[in-house]
Amino acid sequence: MRRFLTFKGVVGLTLLTLIALVAIVGPLIVPPEAATAMDMTARRAPPSLRYWFGTDQLGRDLVARVILGARTSLEIAVAAVAMSIVLGLPLGMISGYFGGRTDNVLMRLVDTLLAFPALLLALTISAVLGPNVQNTIIAIGIAFTPFLARIIRGEALRVAQMPYVEAARASGTTDAMIMLRHVLPNIMPAVIVQATISLAFAILAEAGLSFLGLGTQPPAASWGLMIQASRDQLDIAPWTALVPGLAVALTVLALNMFGDVLRDVLDPRAK
Amino acid sequence: MKRRDFLRSTTALLSGSVLLGAGLAQPLQAQETPVSGGTLIWGHSETTQNLDMHQTGTASSGRVLQNIHASIVTVDDDLNVIPNLAESYEVAEDGLTYTFNLRPGVVFHNGDTMTSADVKYSFERCKDPATGAVNFEVFNNVASIETPDDLTVVIRMSAVNAPFLSRLAENGAGVVMPVDSGPTQGTNPTGAGPFRFVSYEVGTVVKMARHDAYWEGPSYLDAVEAREITEPTTRLTGLRTGELHMINDIPLDRVTELQDDPDLQVITWFPLNFDFVNMNHTFEPFKDKRVRMAFDMIIDKEALMQGALWGQGATSPSPSYPTSAAYNAGLSQRPQDIEGAKALLAEAGYPEGSLDIVFKATTNYPYHIETAQILVEWFRMAGVNLTIEQLTWADWLSQCWVDKDYQMTMMNFFTLWESDFLYYSVWNSQGGFNYRNISDPVIDELTEKARITVDDAERAEIYKSVQQQIWDESHDIVLWFRNGTIGAQPKVMGLDTVVHPNGSNLNFHKVWLSA
Amino acid sequence: MTYILNRLLSVMLTLFLITLVTFGVTNILPGDVAMMIMGTQSNPEALAGLRESLGLNDPLAVQYGRWVGGMLTGDWGTSLIFKQPIAELLIQKAAASAVIVVMSMTIALTLAVPLGVWAAVHRDRWQDGVSSTAALMGVSLPDFFWGIVMILVFARGLGWFPSSGFVDPAEDLAGTLRHAFLPSLALGLGLMAHLTRMTRSTMTGILGQEFIRVARAKGLSERTVVWRYGLANAIGPVITIAGLQIGYLFGSIIVMEFLFSYTGMGWLTYQALLNRDLPLIQATVFVIAAVVMLTNLAVDLLYVLIDPRIRLG
Repeated sequence: MRRFLTFKGVVGLTLLTLIALVAIVGPLIVPPEAATAMDMTARRAPPSLRYWFGTDQLGRDLVARVILGARTSLEIAVAAVAMSIVLGLPLGMISGYFGGRTDNVLMRLVDTLLAFPALLLALTISAVLGPNVQNTIIAIGIAFTPFLARIIRGEALRVAQMPYVEAARASGTTDAMIMLRHVLPNIMPAVIVQATISLAFAILAEAGLSFLGLGTQPPAASWGLMIQASRDQLDIAPWTALVPGLAVALTVLALNMFGDVLRDVLDPRAK
Repeated sequence: MKRRDFLRSTTALLSGSVLLGAGLAQPLQAQETPVSGGTLIWGHSETTQNLDMHQTGTASSGRVLQNIHASIVTVDDDLNVIPNLAESYEVAEDGLTYTFNLRPGVVFHNGDTMTSADVKYSFERCKDPATGAVNFEVFNNVASIETPDDLTVVIRMSAVNAPFLSRLAENGAGVVMPVDSGPTQGTNPTGAGPFRFVSYEVGTVVKMARHDAYWEGPSYLDAVEAREITEPTTRLTGLRTGELHMINDIPLDRVTELQDDPDLQVITWFPLNFDFVNMNHTFEPFKDKRVRMAFDMIIDKEALMQGALWGQGATSPSPSYPTSAAYNAGLSQRPQDIEGAKALLAEAGYPEGSLDIVFKATTNYPYHIETAQILVEWFRMAGVNLTIEQLTWADWLSQCWVDKDYQMTMMNFFTLWESDFLYYSVWNSQGGFNYRNISDPVIDELTEKARITVDDAERAEIYKSVQQQIWDESHDIVLWFRNGTIGAQPKVMGLDTVVHPNGSNLNFHKVWLSA
Repeated sequence: MTYILNRLLSVMLTLFLITLVTFGVTNILPGDVAMMIMGTQSNPEALAGLRESLGLNDPLAVQYGRWVGGMLTGDWGTSLIFKQPIAELLIQKAAASAVIVVMSMTIALTLAVPLGVWAAVHRDRWQDGVSSTAALMGVSLPDFFWGIVMILVFARGLGWFPSSGFVDPAEDLAGTLRHAFLPSLALGLGLMAHLTRMTRSTMTGILGQEFIRVARAKGLSERTVVWRYGLANAIGPVITIAGLQIGYLFGSIIVMEFLFSYTGMGWLTYQALLNRDLPLIQATVFVIAAVVMLTNLAVDLLYVLIDPRIRLG
């Protein structure tokens, strides 16, 4: 526990708690219409007493949008990473545990997928399924799966050679049982660390997809969508970029700091 | 925001807005004598693709190729067909024979002098389905193309095709290419226009140089470089830093800012295109005229224009070119009436909260996304839940245009000033552009009748009735005409001549650079 | 040796899988190039005519066979939108992207290595925090955002670099480098975070090892110990990580080249995708995937050479 109480740990954890609080409590306080209501007399209004963070090109209040956007962005990130774990965990574990031919075949598959630009994948998914929040999650989730599978495979490979696994095998325990009882718990720390860092990437990926018109659909608010919309007005209305940009930057920073500390605590090898 | 607040703010906007009139806004330029020389660096908003004029349907390639090719006939500022490469032409009484007397001494970029054989070759190439020409149907009724001598072309039709001449004046169909130049047009476009093609680096730049033997006299500029910069912010920066002499398509929200900049000149013209909101007529709720009309009543067109176009346009109930004879000036847009719309929707069996509609908008036109976002607010006030789906251009074309798989969408068309092209293609049930599945016997009958009506005034009246019918039935919701824009350094002169009357193409023949 | 042979065999297999996936995915995409060329002017008859003249009507298996066969014999076909031989386009655009890839990687390493070493030397002190925060700056925002900031600051504000475009190195090499700099810088910032972190953790491990303690005990200056002994041993893994970042980089150049109108492979891929130019999509995606895969292979082989313990892969 003491290892959490480093500078990084305290700052990361505090920030994350605050951000999670905003994402959870925000929508209870701010009504959804607040994020889409337009004031055509105050388009691109700079921060003021009336609009603390200023307004965007359609005169929408950036305070409401950044608060409600937190929910959307984090939801997408968490769901996408969860999906990539659900897909990558069995893939990586089977590959690493059994090794040999199974490993070879599965990893060729993973290598193939890794070689493709995620953009192509995202464009295809959205062209075939239609652009919306669920499909954004699917696109990011699938794109992240090979990375996770690779990392999990490496861990599983390591754990599979541990004496206690050998012992279990010798005592006739089934492979499925060993994977569930011994391998899974021992690779979890690495998975958790990787998940934390992947969350940060997922938040950025959502912004990247918005660049192409995929991702969250307007007028709903998400940080990615807000950053994307700000790109044409960065020079005349910098607050439209700073507000969501800062939100994303802080979250990514906090996740990375927390991830580093988690790694120190959970992963005994990476000291 | 409560509804009253929204209305108040939009009204406040209205009182301050000034509408642009028709015609070109003249740039503030001192009257100087044009000088020759220099290379104009143009920041082009789109990527040039296929350089073959016949196979190119995109406005982007047309904008460049317009300088390389010349048409047999063209239009004046009032969109009347006038001679061009043909010195004169006659149309027979029965409308079945067209005789073109070609201008002598027109020289192509390859040095050959134009003859009737070139015209025959070009038109037959365009007509041949194997060419894959975008405008091949212009020649559908053409029975034969004869060349009695070097400077005479006689075209015989199998049936009357009243808009034939006007369609030839459009850049794609009427251009004249040298005999047998077809196979190389895609890589080395050759024509009789004011500039000859020099080089093309995919996605980067198209270079053109003066054609000294151009029949209307050589251009002032030595050369034009069309650099392709698709990202608006980047293009704007290039103009500001002086890397570019001029750019087309200033982002709508930045026009005022550039106009206020004493170091730059801004040309805006009206109209570039019209926009309309589309409802799919095979989608159950939209089969009911009352629903379509209620949707029309939900929209405050003026406020929407101010909101999405930043005032760079003018609302219009009719898509006809505003100065054309066919424009029905008797129409006016339905004013916003949300309560009325609610009542009408309830009457049609759709009480508040019972309609969920998906609105597909393409990211190809960023202001369509803004429009859709504003619409969502108004529709919510009227108890209709509108959801936006953003589509890339390819996806929009395939889903909405080809497969007609959508509920609501919007689109723009370059001012298709030829009435037959406009009303038959877009609103006739058999029209090639009827992606809303509209089937209205009244419109079908009127548009067919116009095709065989040779008298111009009579045809104009028919098209006015078509507009009336579209409005009465709320087949589509016509919103506005949008302005075209060009930003330029002060040294670029003669910009008042650069925009082709059709509002889309740019012609650099009389543009020059001051020292 | 067997290891390398096995690796090469699996590369062939992966390449084959890549052609299958590329072909499959591109054919799921709705719409085609005929529709994109005609745009809103398209009508069924005109589309049919154009499709015929573009050769889009053959069965899929025939198209796949022709595609792979063509690639093997060096005939990569013609781009349907640009009407140019794809092989020529690829060579031209790949050269442009190579400039950006090399430049951004150089920028990233130049920034990341000193930063990471500095953090490792001052591990768990304020320097460490500053270093990782600085590194994370780059990766805390999407790279297109940094691209716009670069344009506004260095092109519009200071006027040091051109805001967009690409210049043929054969014509003007200095011009090419000037045009490539801003997109490379923006990409470099994105790459930096991971590299800094890797440098830090590798250096931390090495600085704790026996031979460093010996070197220190021998009275060598701290600078010599860190840079000569420490970094020399850490640089291998760092370069390896840099190689693995190539995949990420190829994803990012698509957006960055588009933003800067820098016409390289990323730009070409995006245009091909947007315009549904199937032969061009297949070619660009295949080349990118193959390059990424081969870089990973090279990195793996390099690893074997550097670290004799890894033999089994």
